[in-house]
Amino acid sequence: MATDLNSSRTSPEIVAPQLMFTATDQSRKKQLMENIARGIFFVMTLLMILPLVLIVVYLFVKAAPILSPEFFFTNPTNGMRAGGIWAPLLGTIYIVIISLLVSAPIGVLAAVYLNEYARESWFTRIINLAVVNLAGVPSIVHALFGLGAFVYFARMGRSVLAASLTLAIMTLPVIIASTKEALGAVPMAFREACWNTGATRWQTIRGIVLPNSISGILTGVILQVSRAAGETAPIMFTGAVFFKAISEGDVLAYGLLDRFMALSMHLYQLSTQVPGVPEALEYGTAVVLLGAVLMVNALAIALRVYLRSRKRW
Amino acid sequence: MAQTPNTTKKIEIADLTVRYGEMEALKGISFDVYENEILGVIGPAQSGKTTLLKTINRTIELEPSVQVSGSVKIDGTDVKSVKNVNQLRRRIGMVFPLPVGLPLSIYDNVAFAPRTAGIHNRSELDETVERCLQQAALWDEVKDRLNSLGTKLSGGQQQRLTIARALSHQPEILCLDEFSIAVDPVTTMRIEDILKELQSQITIILVTNLVQQARRLANRTAFIFESELIEINDNDVIFSDSPANRLTFEYVNGTFG
Repeated sequence: MATDLNSSRTSPEIVAPQLMFTATDQSRKKQLMENIARGIFFVMTLLMILPLVLIVVYLFVKAAPILSPEFFFTNPTNGMRAGGIWAPLLGTIYIVIISLLVSAPIGVLAAVYLNEYARESWFTRIINLAVVNLAGVPSIVHALFGLGAFVYFARMGRSVLAASLTLAIMTLPVIIASTKEALGAVPMAFREACWNTGATRWQTIRGIVLPNSISGILTGVILQVSRAAGETAPIMFTGAVFFKAISEGDVLAYGLLDRFMALSMHLYQLSTQVPGVPEALEYGTAVVLLGAVLMVNALAIALRVYLRSRKRW
Repeated sequence: MAQTPNTTKKIEIADLTVRYGEMEALKGISFDVYENEILGVIGPAQSGKTTLLKTINRTIELEPSVQVSGSVKIDGTDVKSVKNVNQLRRRIGMVFPLPVGLPLSIYDNVAFAPRTAGIHNRSELDETVERCLQQAALWDEVKDRLNSLGTKLSGGQQQRLTIARALSHQPEILCLDEFSIAVDPVTTMRIEDILKELQSQITIILVTNLVQQARRLANRTAFIFESELIEINDNDVIFSDSPANRLTFEYVNGTFG
């Protein structure tokens, strides 16, 4: 054995150890390609982040003079050319909360049914197809549906309720899709192990599936907050108005059947419909809308990181 | 070989055919399993062994586009006629080749099935958890950390946890499908000893690729090949020089498979 080893060391086919790490043309070319690929990916990542940083910094700088507690808690005044954003801010909070109160339970429960109970059939395939397609419907189409279904047919008029339900319909398919994805991430083997012990589907869902998918489900739902807050088209036809004065500081100022102001719509009006609006007022409104969305997204990310750190397999 | 069992029929399988779409996984097989025996089931991969086990506790119904004909009777009752399938599954412990620790504590892994059956009394659960972990030869290794996650155990430990879970609902029948794939030889021997002890209380079906394991443990062994039952016989016959079928002799002696 020892003789064999010695003879193989002196064999001409074996590269001498000192030459093994010497660069060849081939390896230099590979390294160059590797560096180019990595550089391209890095630049693309920078390009993605850059606009966001620029927008946020630019908006904050421009809005800085007007950002104060009064800006949040006073109604717009002087034909929208002065005052704050109380009425639109409260309107946005209302429609986001109400729409999620409707879409989150329906969406999550429907997704649980589709993922955990429904057998593969033409019916479930059609439902799944409908969910995917509904998620891709432009928001203006949802707006027209809301106008017909809730404002006219259900006689809700243009109101907080009609707008919230329109937003709920819009966010529903995305919540269903994200919940299904979160449920699907729980390995099938866990379910089978439970069923093999005689556990029912519901016992399996409650004991194993939901506790281990809740982070994904919540993240999906929370991300819809920012979508609902930012949409303009669906509420424009269904309840949001140019101006509505409400009592300042009163969080119950809107009724379900009242028309309302909303931040996204307010920003659109300030930028396009009202001449002579101070620049800081427009930027201030944009900063509040963007800030709210970023805060909600940050909350979703924090929640996901926290719950992932407790991942149990 | 384990103790001699009685000849009361625990499971009667008659003309059982299982199809996945066009593919026949079992072709009209018939045999009985006696109470308190260990029945070894051997055969190459894809011969229908796992399908057989899934048919007994009706988890086969969870597979898409599967068709089952023929009958599987437990204590004379056709499993197809059982309305509450969960109750049926509670009577049968299942252990599959890959260990599955549920994402729960070690304690909760074993207490899961009793809890789903409605037992919430803490001392009763404590007793069950200790008994099952001991039966699965895991108690000594985990008794001081019952609250740590079952999924963080090693593969072999998780398999023993899976066995403990399968025993936790006090099944009358225990089906083991290649249970020793992820378990070291020493632990395998310990579990085999435990199976021999358990035999006095339950009926065991042991699907295995290890022919010698069937030889060591089983009273009788069934040889399934290409979805057909080639032979079922006492171990003395199956592992002799003259089993009823030539194929059995060749498979057992490693001529093929």
